[in-house]
Amino acid sequence: MPVLEVDALRKTFVRGLLRRRTEALRGVSFRVEQGEIFGFLGPNGAGKTTTIKILMGLIFPTSGKARLLGADAGNRDAKAKLGYLPENPYFYDYLTVTELLDMVGRLHGMDASARRRRSAALIEEVGLGHAAKRPMRSFSKGMLQRAGLAQALISDPELVVLDEPMSGLDPIGRKEVRDIILGLRERGKTVFFSTHILSDATLLCDRVAIVVGGELRDTGPLGALLDPKVDAVEILWAGDDATAERVDELAGTHARTSEGRISRVADLDAANAVVARVVAGSGRILHVIPHRQSLEDVFVHEAKAAGAGRGGDA
Amino acid sequence: MHGWLRVWAIALNTFREATRNRVLYVLVMFAVGLMAFSIVLGELSLHEEVRVIKDIGLAGISVVGLVISLFLGVNLLSKELDRKTVFFVIPKPLHRHEFLLGKYLGMAVTLGVLVVVMAVTLAAVLATQGGTHDVALLRAETLVLLELWLVLAVALLFSSFSSPYLSAMFTAGLWIVGRNSGELRTFATGKLADTPLGGLLSSVASIVPDFHVFFVSGGALGDTPVSIHGGFVGWSYVGEAAVYAGAYGAACLAIAAVLFSRRDLT
Repeated sequence: MPVLEVDALRKTFVRGLLRRRTEALRGVSFRVEQGEIFGFLGPNGAGKTTTIKILMGLIFPTSGKARLLGADAGNRDAKAKLGYLPENPYFYDYLTVTELLDMVGRLHGMDASARRRRSAALIEEVGLGHAAKRPMRSFSKGMLQRAGLAQALISDPELVVLDEPMSGLDPIGRKEVRDIILGLRERGKTVFFSTHILSDATLLCDRVAIVVGGELRDTGPLGALLDPKVDAVEILWAGDDATAERVDELAGTHARTSEGRISRVADLDAANAVVARVVAGSGRILHVIPHRQSLEDVFVHEAKAAGAGRGGDA
Repeated sequence: MHGWLRVWAIALNTFREATRNRVLYVLVMFAVGLMAFSIVLGELSLHEEVRVIKDIGLAGISVVGLVISLFLGVNLLSKELDRKTVFFVIPKPLHRHEFLLGKYLGMAVTLGVLVVVMAVTLAAVLATQGGTHDVALLRAETLVLLELWLVLAVALLFSSFSSPYLSAMFTAGLWIVGRNSGELRTFATGKLADTPLGGLLSSVASIVPDFHVFFVSGGALGDTPVSIHGGFVGWSYVGEAAVYAGAYGAACLAIAAVLFSRRDLT
């Protein structure tokens, strides 16, 4: 049984006196299985947060189904096994992080000693030990993000849903959050997180779904989404003008840079030909970089395809 | 049982928020200042110091309590939405109606504590002038508290579907009409009897909360004058008023819970 299941989910917002309609989701379907880290990717305004808000019971779908841990979205029993970090989290700023975790622990029905023990451990884990007694109104964005992560994990949930968890964090903070997410997977937890930062998805996700313009463009393991073939090969080399003339005869682009000469060719065979002429001309190869399709390429391609599909009205 | 624990967790947090709200302290200080000023006004009267202090003290508790219950009541839900705190609370394992009830309960406890603080202050001021905080005054303060709890429920009902400004206007309007429901009925059954306007006024009077029942000192019940200085209503009247406030307040909360549970929290 999937831990999280979204089936033909649609959401249309109706706003203002003129009842203007905005289609935020146009039939999104995907599943998240037990124990995986699932990345929900898309540019800003793609429908990621709308999907997550439906899953969390904050808004209601116009049509379609959203189920968590075997129950409909918003079900209290399902929410008891769930930890959620909202995008740009806002908490009661007059509370300290200790008081916040105590309150959330109460809502999860934890007894006083469990609340104390668990919150003390989590505050240390997210690196807020030095600020445990400060009201959160004095917290930076990154500190709030850490507090948010702690409150999402207080009940040791089976499913953790994180909306843009790396937002506002410095490189050290991002590394710490990545470690926490990987630690959750090691303990058999399921992590569903949205992001528009593709490097995070590349480093963490078992599978991803790409949503653009309220539609699911692709879903699957990263390896399956990315084309393994080489798109281009870049060769940086040093050599005399005679060698350069011989290399320029080959297909591709060739230019002079401050570091040497750079040739960009279509595939590995063409790269071999460049290397052979450089070596034959007593030149030196400084580096060879094969360029494969990145998640960014997939992302941009899908976004462009969505734009073209709707006549550029993305 | 667990449901009530979740409600209590929200209530505790709401109470905590209120106690850290400086505006609340300013308003309470205003009430305390008013009571202190009543000593000066009492000195200006001829041997009526205690009477003046009681009248002004009770009015001060009522007015300050109404301002607090109205403005904090209409902001109870909207503040959660504006500050986006609702986005992390609602996904916790609690029902939306439990959240709403917890918010109400927390603010009701806050109002209770404030009325007690102001009543103790009034008792102290009375003591300085040789007066006593008698049981009639206690009953009057209890009625004021019941009125505040009902105003709070009405404010919460409006704020479950409209903006704080509109909610404040609706609640204040309803309070003014409710305080004058007696006059409304008199018009409806007097000169305007058997007219469409009379019928309309009669319907309005039967729908709006009858806030007049909570502030009876200086008025009359039937032909009997009522005053905290002698001949005030008994505990049975207070009990009936509590049942009325409880029933009307529960209806407001139930409607608010239904509206809030269907609302998209965007």
